[in-house]
Amino acid sequence: MKTGLAYRLLGVLLLCAALTLATDAFLTVSNLLNVLRQASLVFLLASGVTLVVLTAGLDLSIGANVGLSACVAAAAIKAGAVELGVAAALACGLTIGLLNGLMVTRLHVPPFIATYGMLWVVHGITYWYMAGQTVYDFPEGFRALGSGYLLGLPVPVYLMGACLALGGVFTRHTTYGHEIYAIGANAEAARLSGIPVRARLNLVYGLSGAMAGLASIVYLARLNSAEADIGEPLMLPAIAAILVGGTSLFGGIGSLSGTLVGAILLTLVLNGMNLLAIGANWQPLVTGVIVVLAVWIDVATRRAPAAAGSPVRAE
Amino acid sequence: MMTDTRRGRLAPVVVLTGMLISCAQTGDTAGDEIALFTKNQTNPYFQSIRLGAADAARQLDASLVHYVPTRPDSIPDQMSQIEDAIIKRPDAVVFIPVDFQAMVPGVEKMNAAGIPVVNLTDRSAGGQFVSFVGCDDHRLGLDSGLYLLERMGGRGNVIILEGVGGSSNSKARVAGFMEAIARFPDVTLLASQPGNFQRLQALQVTENLLQAYPQIDGVMAANDSMAAGAIEALDAANRQALVTSINGTKEAVDAIKAGKLLASTDCNGFVQGCIGTMVAIRHLRGLPVPAEFQFPQPVVDNTNYGDLDRPDEERSCPSWEGLTEGLLTPDD
Repeated sequence: MKTGLAYRLLGVLLLCAALTLATDAFLTVSNLLNVLRQASLVFLLASGVTLVVLTAGLDLSIGANVGLSACVAAAAIKAGAVELGVAAALACGLTIGLLNGLMVTRLHVPPFIATYGMLWVVHGITYWYMAGQTVYDFPEGFRALGSGYLLGLPVPVYLMGACLALGGVFTRHTTYGHEIYAIGANAEAARLSGIPVRARLNLVYGLSGAMAGLASIVYLARLNSAEADIGEPLMLPAIAAILVGGTSLFGGIGSLSGTLVGAILLTLVLNGMNLLAIGANWQPLVTGVIVVLAVWIDVATRRAPAAAGSPVRAE
Repeated sequence: MMTDTRRGRLAPVVVLTGMLISCAQTGDTAGDEIALFTKNQTNPYFQSIRLGAADAARQLDASLVHYVPTRPDSIPDQMSQIEDAIIKRPDAVVFIPVDFQAMVPGVEKMNAAGIPVVNLTDRSAGGQFVSFVGCDDHRLGLDSGLYLLERMGGRGNVIILEGVGGSSNSKARVAGFMEAIARFPDVTLLASQPGNFQRLQALQVTENLLQAYPQIDGVMAANDSMAAGAIEALDAANRQALVTSINGTKEAVDAIKAGKLLASTDCNGFVQGCIGTMVAIRHLRGLPVPAEFQFPQPVVDNTNYGDLDRPDEERSCPSWEGLTEGLLTPDD
């Protein structure tokens, strides 16, 4: 796991070096802050899902969740209160997450299906709620959450730092965190050893939803507008960041810091292609190649120590 | 009277609206059912079209059924909705293809079923239509681009924000931008990058381009949402550039009024919805309709936004006669 992260950091450094040589515009304070701000949005969304993936689950509803949460928040802010909007987004996100959790733990619907179904349900509600309209133009103070600076750093970067720190402590240094890894490694063994699997699963899906709610506020503040499809382009990049960050879809392996590195790596790639004015069609292609490459490195490096002995599952 | 500027586009002939239309609709042909196919639930532009169509149907005493793909812009969804519609047999269909090539077989199915089809907004690559009602995306791009470059004094650096790669309207608009740029030798195109018609992507692309280029004087956005994203990026970076876009949504008008957006070339979804529906109903009632209906599409700036500033819900369709005057001149 540690070596995987080291490879990734090396990848980030090599990419930075290459971009520095390729264009003068890359290695400037303002561009690096720009990359960090863009990455922070991806990270906020991906961090909650990382917890879900650690339990061998998946949350496909986060993009839709961001869309509905942002629209609900936008309406509440327009109705007069920024605080109300923030609370509404968090509550909306959390509710969707908990419903996902209940579907997985009580109805025993596989996470992929449960959250995929939720994606459609939430899209439907959002389309109905917004009826094709756009809500825009929010107070300056609120918008600072997305586009403002504090002591020279973009505000979302502080949120990213806070989530990383809290999440790091939560996953590494609390029983909850250890139990989440244990469930991902082997749910049945976890249950037999007395871990309250259902409660923990509800917790991670709830957290994933709540993080989508938080991310929706930052997106709203940054875009200064909400429309029904605001979240749709966000789900796949968030999952890509998790995979590139080395968290295994089979659960039990991975980390939030990995997801951060994944988010930064993918953001750097797009930033670099914009700076170098590389054509439109290549951007998704390169992202796809990086995802596969990163996961292949994991598979290869994890297999290596076992290669001498019996063939074991790569994961 | 109160609406006679109608964004300066629709000839000043709207005064007689209600009366003429109520004359046109008498008779036993009332109650026609029109099916309207739009591309998605999310883009405000299609909502404008739906509202315009609903108003025209109401005025002409027809009923309107909506078909919107469950997944935005989905080809298979629209294809199966065509099959549903053929079973339900509306009297006529007003059709915006989600893809101008891929939906041709769907159009042919409706042709085979004998349902008259009016092609709206995006010109289909094939199939038979009563009429095409829409705007010329290439000219939208060209007019929008020329306006920007003239206001830049014919010199400086510009960037282009493209729509969805491969979509016919993005391609045509960008080609229009390019043609405009080619007419000004002192204008440099720094980059043409994809924003996929989406605000967030346009915002991030603009942020990145602002890093790459210390001097950007103009931004050509292929729709209003992307222009809004670009404006956010410019504001956040404390940089100044003139921005133009396409579609003339209410949000764009507000940005024009706030001095943030220079102009939005208007494709007028609301009136497109009106005309498409009117053409279908007139065809059913045996009244003449033009085979081609392209109305003027002015550049909307702070001098002529007129009733674009009103929510679509408060607008009503102009009269057929007012619309066609000047369009169906004898040499048409």
